[in-house]
Amino acid sequence: MTSTLFHPRVLTALALLLVGAGLSVTAWQGPSDAMLVPRFVLAIWCAAALVVLIGELIRRAPMPSAPRSPLPLLMAAVLIAAIATASLGFLIPVLPLVALTLWLFRVRQPLWIALGTLILGGGLWFLFHHVLLIRLPTLLTSGLI
Amino acid sequence: MDIVLAAAANAFTWQALLAIVIGTWAGIIIGGLPGLGSVVGLTIFLPFTFGMDVITSMALLIGVYCGSVYGGSITAILINTPGTPQAAATTFDGYPMTQQGKVGEALGWATFASFFGGVLSCVMLIVGAPQLAKFAVNFGSIEVFALVCLAMLCIVGVSQGSTLKGILCGMMGFLFSMVGSDPITGADRFTFGQYALSSGLTLIPVVVGAFALSEVFVRFSTRDDEAARIPEARLIFPGLRDIGRRMIELLRGSFIGGFIGALPGTGAAAAAFISYASAQKLSPRRKNLGKGEPDGIIASESSNNAVTGSSFIPTLALGIPGDVVTAMMMGAMVIHGITPGVRLMADQAQTVYSLFVVLIIVNVAMLILSKPSVGLFRYLFKLPQGFVMGGIVMFSFIGAVSVRGNPLDLVVAAITGLLAYVLRRGGYPLAPLVIGMVLGPELESSLRRGLLISRGDFTAFFTHSTIASVLFVLIALFIAGTLWSGFSQWRKDRAAGESPAA
Amino acid sequence: MTLLRASLAAATLVATTTSAVAADTLDIVVPFAAGGATDIVARSFEPIFSEQLGVTSVIRNIAGASATVGTAEVADNEGNPNIIGYEPAGALSIQPSLKDLPYGPESFTYVCRTVSNPMFLMVSKDSDIDSIDQLVEESQEYPFLYGSSGPGTLPHLAMAALTVKSDLQAQHVPYSGSGPAMNALDGNEIQVMADTETILENYDLKPLAVFAESRVEGYEDVPTFEELGMQDLEFSVWQGIVAPKGISQERADAFADACKATVESDRFETFADKSGVSIDYLGAEDFKAFVARRVEVNKQVLKDAGLTE
Repeated sequence: MTSTLFHPRVLTALALLLVGAGLSVTAWQGPSDAMLVPRFVLAIWCAAALVVLIGELIRRAPMPSAPRSPLPLLMAAVLIAAIATASLGFLIPVLPLVALTLWLFRVRQPLWIALGTLILGGGLWFLFHHVLLIRLPTLLTSGLI
Repeated sequence: MDIVLAAAANAFTWQALLAIVIGTWAGIIIGGLPGLGSVVGLTIFLPFTFGMDVITSMALLIGVYCGSVYGGSITAILINTPGTPQAAATTFDGYPMTQQGKVGEALGWATFASFFGGVLSCVMLIVGAPQLAKFAVNFGSIEVFALVCLAMLCIVGVSQGSTLKGILCGMMGFLFSMVGSDPITGADRFTFGQYALSSGLTLIPVVVGAFALSEVFVRFSTRDDEAARIPEARLIFPGLRDIGRRMIELLRGSFIGGFIGALPGTGAAAAAFISYASAQKLSPRRKNLGKGEPDGIIASESSNNAVTGSSFIPTLALGIPGDVVTAMMMGAMVIHGITPGVRLMADQAQTVYSLFVVLIIVNVAMLILSKPSVGLFRYLFKLPQGFVMGGIVMFSFIGAVSVRGNPLDLVVAAITGLLAYVLRRGGYPLAPLVIGMVLGPELESSLRRGLLISRGDFTAFFTHSTIASVLFVLIALFIAGTLWSGFSQWRKDRAAGESPAA
Repeated sequence: MTLLRASLAAATLVATTTSAVAADTLDIVVPFAAGGATDIVARSFEPIFSEQLGVTSVIRNIAGASATVGTAEVADNEGNPNIIGYEPAGALSIQPSLKDLPYGPESFTYVCRTVSNPMFLMVSKDSDIDSIDQLVEESQEYPFLYGSSGPGTLPHLAMAALTVKSDLQAQHVPYSGSGPAMNALDGNEIQVMADTETILENYDLKPLAVFAESRVEGYEDVPTFEELGMQDLEFSVWQGIVAPKGISQERADAFADACKATVESDRFETFADKSGVSIDYLGAEDFKAFVARRVEVNKQVLKDAGLTE
């Protein structure tokens, strides 16, 4: 039974149900005109999540063997770079992210990593920020980087 | 007649033709790059139009717009990542065809359907703009509510495998669209006291996260498989006999797109989903939809490109921009001293006819430029996978942050990417998330406005007008039909499940 | 010809070299998406302004939350001399009273007001209503519906103030912009709307009264509300330039001078003529006082109409 409970699919459904329930509380506490539609939407959400959860519990899909993979590292890098952009500007967080992505996708030669980071990270940033003048978040107030 | 010839002469200057080629070509590339869509493309090119005359600048912008709507299908088919939200429905059948080794045919159908839809909507614009505009005025809040309800039901259709999971994702998308100010009272919703959240979540960052970033994650976890290989892009145009066989599909998709485009405020992404849902009910090959059937690509691509022409109907006939993109076009016209409005057709007939000619040339240019564009993407995707994935991450970041210059949108894209990966692993379809987000705001605000208009009486919706009544009957039939087929399927499954046990 | 090619090439070249080299690029924040009505005015204003100031500048579109996100970005750059905002009336004079924002009227160095268009009360051309009195009278038995381009926008506020100051019975139905509201007016979903001359002209509507101190040129037969016996009903759609607070007086004066020269330039006047915005310049001090007064008036309207406590 416990192994079923910890199945990732069950956990996903459970998390969705809990989030839906939590948001429902907010919706019912809010003003009734602005929250009219959210209440309906969340009711459908919770009902659907509950049935999905029961379905996943009954089905008892076999536990997938989780191979060890550096995927969480890539995910964390994307998330951290995205958050850091607001304070560090666009260029600085993006360079290590591109380098890491290249490395994780089996580009291992230092020259290629450097070149790829420079062209994909720096080059595209320069193209948009300075040539096309689509302003990306900046670090310095002068807008240079 | 003179005026038409003069208009054509305006459009066939070599400045205008050059602008069309540059704009369309750039539009296809921008649309094809995941993350960058029509809005970013137009924002890039808008400053260049200041020094040009009005026809040339409109030619450039229309080229970028139409090109980007088509370009989104290239990446949708090749790597299961729609380049723009408008092409999300193209992945349903486009990517399965790619997996079956039919890339060339898939791209060929997408290109031809785009061209067909685009040209047909130009014809609709030229022939029927005043009539369609007048008809669109009949679509008040209550009629729009009924129409969007009907469109919302296509979530059921596109949730392959699990309808319930699809509904769950649809509601999630709907809820995403509710973060921020309430469109009716202006009160903040689901912001939890955070000012940053009060600007709400927009479509592009969510689509970037849900499709582009999550695709990078999925490809990373399966990077050793054969399936992760990106096939070589080719373009094989369908033969005349095939086109004839699927003519009904092409026409239906184009007319749906053409009509949706004429309604202010709906847009190409909604048109593609509605058209796909109707193909699921009406196509003679509907059993194969979602498994790599060209009809699915036709439904999506003919309708989203048909929006490009007809979205000018409310803009030109009434001065009401149909979506963000036509609003930008209107801005470009204002710069050149042309004020769109009810009298535009009468006062500036020659300019308007020139625009019609430009629209048709753009669609022809799109057809011609499709081959070299696909060639460019073939070249790009031949690079080692690391570079392709690094590029996708970069374009996703740039696209997400440049929609409205808000760094928060980047965080939204990243979080949606992680969430979408978990959901994909759990067997949840992601298209309903986009449908919920595209249609949700329109559904909610039209409902709430309808309630204000009917003074709080929902039952008055059903009898408000003939159009509304007809639409609500269609909704009832759709629900009844879906429940019935679901029920008989369930009985069949149960019978099949019990017999081996017995 | 070569205009297209030349301008494309020149623009690219100029942009690349200058912005990469010059350290002090001036960011002009427009709190709406590119191509909107405010953005178009700002983009016509920008090249002349930066020429006058002798810097290179770039338009940054930061849209969202009724233009407050972009405005907050300007306020957040306290002391930064390289950022200004091209601001609409709502973000400066309505939103701070309506919502909890990270900025207030005191967060800015006011530079100048550029344009201002008075609002008109209008009904559809086919409507049989010809005067305010008739409108008020007919609203008694069955209340009218008035449209707006969203909650807390100027069209909403002007009408809310009118319902407070007169016997007009009318209810608010917000749309996502002036365009969709016009579609609704055409389909008789709403009956009245307050908006500017541009809307009035583009959609061929019938003006009943003008929210201004005196009658407007070109509309001499449209009465003001004061003439009709209703005081303090003046609403106009205006735009202006603000810089963050904490910049040097020298820099603020340079901005003000450049702004004055820009709005007085022929190029900007030609643009204003063509696009239907009326130039209405106010200098730094006057603009500051003007915004302060509008904030007070709007706060009172919001309170009277029950939109805030």
